[in-house]
Amino acid sequence: MMLRVREADGYAPIRDYAIVGDGRTAALIGLDGSVDWLCLPDFDSPSVLGRLLDAGKGGRLELTPVEPFQVTRRYRSGSNVLETTFETTSGSARVSDAMTLLGTRLGPARELVRRVEGLSGTVRVRVVFEPRFDYGRRAARIAGGGSRFVASHRADAVSLSVWGAARTEVENGRVVGELVVAAGETAALSIGAAHAEPLVFSGRDEALDRLEETDRFWREWSARGTYEGPWQKAVVRSALTLKLLVYAPSGAIVAAPTSSLPEEIGGTRNWDYRYAWVRDACWTTAALLRLGYHDEVDAFFWWLMHTTRLTQPRLGVLYRVNGDPNVSEVTLDQLSGYRASKPVRIGNDARNQLQLDVYGSLLHAVWLYVDAGHAVSRDTAKEAAKIADWVVENWQRADAGIWETRSPPTHYTQSKAMCWVALDRACALADRGAIPDRSARWRTAANEIRSFVEERAFDEELGYVRAPALRESDASLLTLALLDWSSGADPRLITTVDGVRRQLARGPLVDRYRGQDGLEGDEGAFLTCSFWLVDALARTGRHGEAAELMDELVSLANDVGLYSEELDPASGAFLGNFPQALSHLALVNAAVSLAASESRP
Amino acid sequence: MTLWGALAGGLVGTVLLSTTVRLAQEIGVTRMDIPLLLGTAFTENRSRANLIGYGVHFVNGLVFSLVYAGVFEATGRAGWLFGAGLGLVHGLFAGGVLVNVLLPALHPRMGTSWTDASATPLLEPPGFLLLNYGRHTVLVTLLGHVAYGTIVGAFAAGL
Repeated sequence: MMLRVREADGYAPIRDYAIVGDGRTAALIGLDGSVDWLCLPDFDSPSVLGRLLDAGKGGRLELTPVEPFQVTRRYRSGSNVLETTFETTSGSARVSDAMTLLGTRLGPARELVRRVEGLSGTVRVRVVFEPRFDYGRRAARIAGGGSRFVASHRADAVSLSVWGAARTEVENGRVVGELVVAAGETAALSIGAAHAEPLVFSGRDEALDRLEETDRFWREWSARGTYEGPWQKAVVRSALTLKLLVYAPSGAIVAAPTSSLPEEIGGTRNWDYRYAWVRDACWTTAALLRLGYHDEVDAFFWWLMHTTRLTQPRLGVLYRVNGDPNVSEVTLDQLSGYRASKPVRIGNDARNQLQLDVYGSLLHAVWLYVDAGHAVSRDTAKEAAKIADWVVENWQRADAGIWETRSPPTHYTQSKAMCWVALDRACALADRGAIPDRSARWRTAANEIRSFVEERAFDEELGYVRAPALRESDASLLTLALLDWSSGADPRLITTVDGVRRQLARGPLVDRYRGQDGLEGDEGAFLTCSFWLVDALARTGRHGEAAELMDELVSLANDVGLYSEELDPASGAFLGNFPQALSHLALVNAAVSLAASESRP
Repeated sequence: MTLWGALAGGLVGTVLLSTTVRLAQEIGVTRMDIPLLLGTAFTENRSRANLIGYGVHFVNGLVFSLVYAGVFEATGRAGWLFGAGLGLVHGLFAGGVLVNVLLPALHPRMGTSWTDASATPLLEPPGFLLLNYGRHTVLVTLLGHVAYGTIVGAFAAGL
């Protein structure tokens, strides 16, 4: 039971949020029942509820007890329906939240249903609906009254339906009201949204039925997963969270549903993650295959190969979920930023960088897909071979690396190793007859890359270093153990894993690196790297240490099993965008690796 | 004005339209892939989809040339310029409605704006004016259809 009060500045800790979503967009709901983030109609659309990035004028949907309260929260088992239970001195009530799934049936194009169920006594719940279109730039024009209100701006419209309200009224550009719920009574409200089409309204019973149908879908979906092993609960929650981050119309997966949650409170490292990164392709493919979600793998793989076509054999770093590679970065000066962390950015200029690691990620994803028994078309096979050819021609270039540093391009060791991964997997694919065979050329270049890394990027103390010119540890080099650079018994690999742990770990948490990256300020420990360390320890024969670390990391999730991008080792506060796909992908892959290493004799 | 001329124009125009789009794909201007989009309505096998898709596209090209012939007949006018104008309208209709709205609604493997987490379509929806497949797709599509209309108009008018 937690007693949590929103800070005086109006912001809640990132850790306090839970996510609900429908495969097109997602809402973040605080422990106090306030929906503080919702972009409509899609993940990368402008926010309508954006209190997360501006407590004053971002927009919100509050559903919070009037009296002081204590709160517990959970997702229903195997489901993405969130249940928040409030206890006050006069009674208790449970709020069930879900973004409903309609399939092809007529209903609101996007819908968030919130059911309030009285459990004991009587609870008064305050309702505040304050939509702010276009990232808080536009106060809404609200029409209606009684139990239904409509806010609109240009081609966008949002409706609020309230059932069981004692009173609701429009006041200063927002709807305010109060629900009074006694034991055994049920009140409800729903937010419906439309873009460039009429709103579709629904009745109370229909909305509540859809909430239960949505719950059934999630339970059935999670039951389809095939993973059975240690940390099952964390793995299933990660799978459900990852599914929420999949943009269903295309199969792409966003890195996170939020923008500009800071890597340092008050700092400038605030980025927009509502896009799909090619870097994550191999981890996504691996995790979905290991969890048994083959339909999602198919959709993701088709999206990946179709989307990258526009630039192939050169690959973009990130793409919009609809496939558009144009993701220009701009700042939103009207928003004050999470706890004064400015600027708030939308778009991401990392798109213009050269990142050689993405080639290894993509070709490793192709290899995993083929190795799992999926066929690739002749066009895809030709494209994969051309990408390998491009790597042969370009691996010697300096790049921005996996961490998207904004300092001058450097010969990052992990980038070179990922080029080796690209060519090694291309050779393996050619051996299988899956892609055109130019393996003699690819193998020669792969050997040159390996020589480069072994001769110029190894240090007896640290293992493989960040770059030949940067003799320091870099947690991304843990991926060498994960992507079969050499066997787990290789002393150089073991030295690298130990070096990263010695140099970059703060307790169970691991920093990405400690050197310069061309940006001002500091950041928290990077959760993905912590899970990579678990994976690397498991693969280098340290099962016990890996399991111990995994236990610690699993205990660091928030109350509903979610992770952000980073964590402050001193305070335990979540930092960065939330929830973060890469953190959950790394958790799944680490758990499966551990399960495999446990079963090895 | 001859019906056979319009049909012959439809055939040649479709060849030109297909070639224009394919060329644009090869030089990295668009991800628009007409045979793939049409063929995957029938099969998940990409190679087979390409074959079927080209077939369907050519049938469509011939059917549309008959529609053009009907317009020529009704207005009593035919010629390359009128055909080009019809091609422009045809291109806008194709990008704005036909491929943007109707194809996703009929296509069993294509996402739509209302596809939610309960489905896993294999093909991303094209978006308005097919812009999801690259910003220049609209230009390629319009150019191809104007060329198609020009040829159908010219052939129908007996060159």
